Formats: sequence, structure tokens, C-alpha cells
Amino acid sequence: MDNNYLQHFLYPSSLFVSKDPYVVKTILGSCVAICLWDKRLKIGGMNHYMLSNWNGNDLASPKYGNIAIDKLVERMFALGSRIEDLQAKIFGGGELLESGQGKSTLIGERNIRVARLMLEEKRIPIVASSTGGRRGRKILFFTDTGEVRHKFLEKKVY
Amino acid sequence: MSNLSDKQLLRELRLRLEERKKLENEVKELSRDFQDVTKKLKESESLKSHFISNISNEIVNPFTSILGLSKAILSVEKNDWKKVVSMVALIHSEAFNLDFQLRNIFVAAKIEAGEVAPNISKVNLRSLIQNVIDSFNIVSRKMNIDIDLQYNIEYGFGKNFYFKTDSEKLKLVLSNLINNALKYSYKESKVILKVWMDDDILHLSVQDFGTGISDKNQKIIFERFKRLDSGINSINRGHGLGLSITKALLDVLEGSIEIKSQKGEGSTFSVALPEAKHIVDGFSGEGNDIFFDEGDEIF
Repeated sequence: MDNNYLQHFLYPSSLFVSKDPYVVKTILGSCVAICLWDKRLKIGGMNHYMLSNWNGNDLASPKYGNIAIDKLVERMFALGSRIEDLQAKIFGGGELLESGQGKSTLIGERNIRVARLMLEEKRIPIVASSTGGRRGRKILFFTDTGEVRHKFLEKKVY
Repeated sequence: MSNLSDKQLLRELRLRLEERKKLENEVKELSRDFQDVTKKLKESESLKSHFISNISNEIVNPFTSILGLSKAILSVEKNDWKKVVSMVALIHSEAFNLDFQLRNIFVAAKIEAGEVAPNISKVNLRSLIQNVIDSFNIVSRKMNIDIDLQYNIEYGFGKNFYFKTDSEKLKLVLSNLINNALKYSYKESKVILKVWMDDDILHLSVQDFGTGISDKNQKIIFERFKRLDSGINSINRGHGLGLSITKALLDVLEGSIEIKSQKGEGSTFSVALPEAKHIVDGFSGEGNDIFFDEGDEIF
């Protein structure tokens, strides 16, 4: 059933947007992936960022949530999307590293927070989500239907 | 509404006070963050405009040289081969530099667009490293700098050694390090490139005996557009992207980079690069068989 789909494996710090039906796969630990889907054009895109906010020093890459989200939305616009047709699903942001010492770094939580904040600011509704927890996730996103298949992983990632 | 005893009231008040203090602190922290960001943004803007003037030098200068030199060759006396050869060598080194810098800029653009993914294959390390060194031959010869390769990997009876990684990215990483080493070296010195393996981790270190980098500068050297204006052999050259690209590429390959340097005594950049696995955890690269199972939740 999935044989008609082209496949793309989404690496951390990258993003993917397509007009053609694709199944985009990725694996998430504390990273967060946002699947944006345009209900009018039936197209979608996804990012996969590792940290919440750009530190201003590295290359301004989609490794950082604030950049990855802006870029993903821009790329959807470039394919003709309108902001009111977009809807989002967000995944990931688990805390896999047991850093101990009481206060962990909470990378996952911060990653989720920036997603919710920025999407709210842009008025893009979050129609589904699976975030937090202590396990990694496997995500498959169908860019034409907006459907996401989601599974927890037993093994630890990153 | 129920009546509160004095004790309860007091406690309630204290709680609220604490809450308030917490909020106040949070606001303070946020405004500090905000100021930081504003500062960074301003800095970033000025760095960007610097970058544009640097980059136009980087592109325009080599072009000017190439155009001028090739025109000059046309009017050289017919049997003055020596002159022609030296001019061609210059043209080559300018074109090489241009090509190298443009490659860097394109890669930076790709990284910033989120279009960089590891492209893993079996790489013949020895020949890759030799190729990179050879590409800097003309530059290093001109400066009379010896690039000393200390290749300490033995494998399969001295045969070629294959290592799973992304060859293009590794090439660019190495080129950037060698380019920097040459740029900050004195004439008639040495650059030492050491290569060794430690379990599945490839180690590369590039050592020069040039100007060195102060402790303070070591912290900012990987930041984009930042250049230390102390390149000996190339005054005001470079776009300041080399090391931030290097770092970002190593990020993609899950490698790391460290620097050891002392002002006046040269620098050593050490890269550690784990061998890539063909199979990403839980994914089988090409196949789609394992992707669907009963346990999938649908969102």
C-alpha cells in the first residue's frame, strides 16, 4: 500500500517539504519534529530540530527550533500554502538522557515549548501531538494525507 | 467563602508573596535573555555586512587575477615558456582558491537550508587524504611549507583502508583545516597531518607552527563570520565560515573537533569521526518492510 510513495529519511537538523506524495521518516529522541500539512493543497513538510533556540554563533541552520520552524513555514509558503490552511502535528521531545543530578537539562521540554509557542504565534493549530516521555519515537509522515504513523521505540536513541 | 484563621491567612499570604517573587525573577530573566538576543542580533547584522564585503573580495580578487594573468599570457613572447608556466601556476592557484571558497559558501547555504544529509559510502581514506594534500601542493610549495603526512593506520596487510563515511564532507573538513593551517603559518615551516584509528573512530589532527590562537579567540573561532585578522599570508582574506562549516559538517557525521593552541606557537586542530553505520537505528535505509507494523499509532 505504501509502494506508491517516494521515501525520504529526515536527518536531524534538516527539513523536507514536497509537492509530491512522500513518506517522510525519522527517529526522535529529545529532538522534536513538526509535521506541517496544508489541507487545501494536500502537501506537507517536516523538520527535525535538536535544540530550541539558535545561539547566534553557529550557522543559522534548522538544528535550532526557532529557525527550523520559520524555515519550514517559509518553504510551505513557497509551494503556495496559505497560513490559514496549515495544521501541525508535533512529536518527540523525550528526556532520554538521565543526566541525574536532580535538575536535568530539559532539552526535550524546551524543544516542545518553542514549538507550541511559535505555532501559537503563527496561529497554526496543533491537531495532534505525542511529546515528552522517556522513550524515542519512530515517525512516518505522509505528505499527501497528513497522516502520521507513530511508534515508541524500545531502544534508546541518542 | 470560608473564613480563614489568622494562621492560614498568613500562610496564604506568604505563599502568594513567594509566587510573586518567583514570577518577578522569571520576568527579570526573560528580559535579560531578551537583551542578550537583541545584542546578538545587532552583532549578527554587522557581521553579515562584514561578510558581504569579505566575500566580494574573495570572489572579485581571484577573478581579477585570473583575467589579468590570462590576458598577459596572450601577449607573452612566444618562446618565453618559463613566464607562461609561472603565470599558469598563478592562475591555477587563484582558480583553486575561488573554487574552494565557493564550495564552502554553497555548503553553508545548504546547511542553513536544512538540506544536508550524510551520504555514506566506503571511502579509501589514504587516497582521499593524499588527494586533499595534493590539491594544496601549489600553495604549500609557493610558501615553502612542508605538509608532513603521518598516516598511522595499518589494515589488511598494508592494503587500502576503507572507512564508512561521507567522502565529500570529510574532504571539505580536511581542506578547511589544511587551508587554515597554511594561512596562519609562517613561510618555510611545516604542517603536520596525523591520521590514526581508535576502535571505530578516525582521528585526524592538523598542526601548524604559525601565529597560534589566544585563549579568548579559541572560544569564538567556530562562530560564523568570525575571522581573526591575523592571517600572515593573506591579509584580509577569507569569509570566516570555514570553521563553522567544519563544525556543522562534523555535526552531521556525529564527529567532533577540538583545538589546542598557544599564542605564538601554533595550533593543533583534532577531529574525531566515528565510522558511520549503514543502518540508522531502527531503519533499514532503503527497505520499507519494517515501517508498518500493528503497533503503529495513527495521528
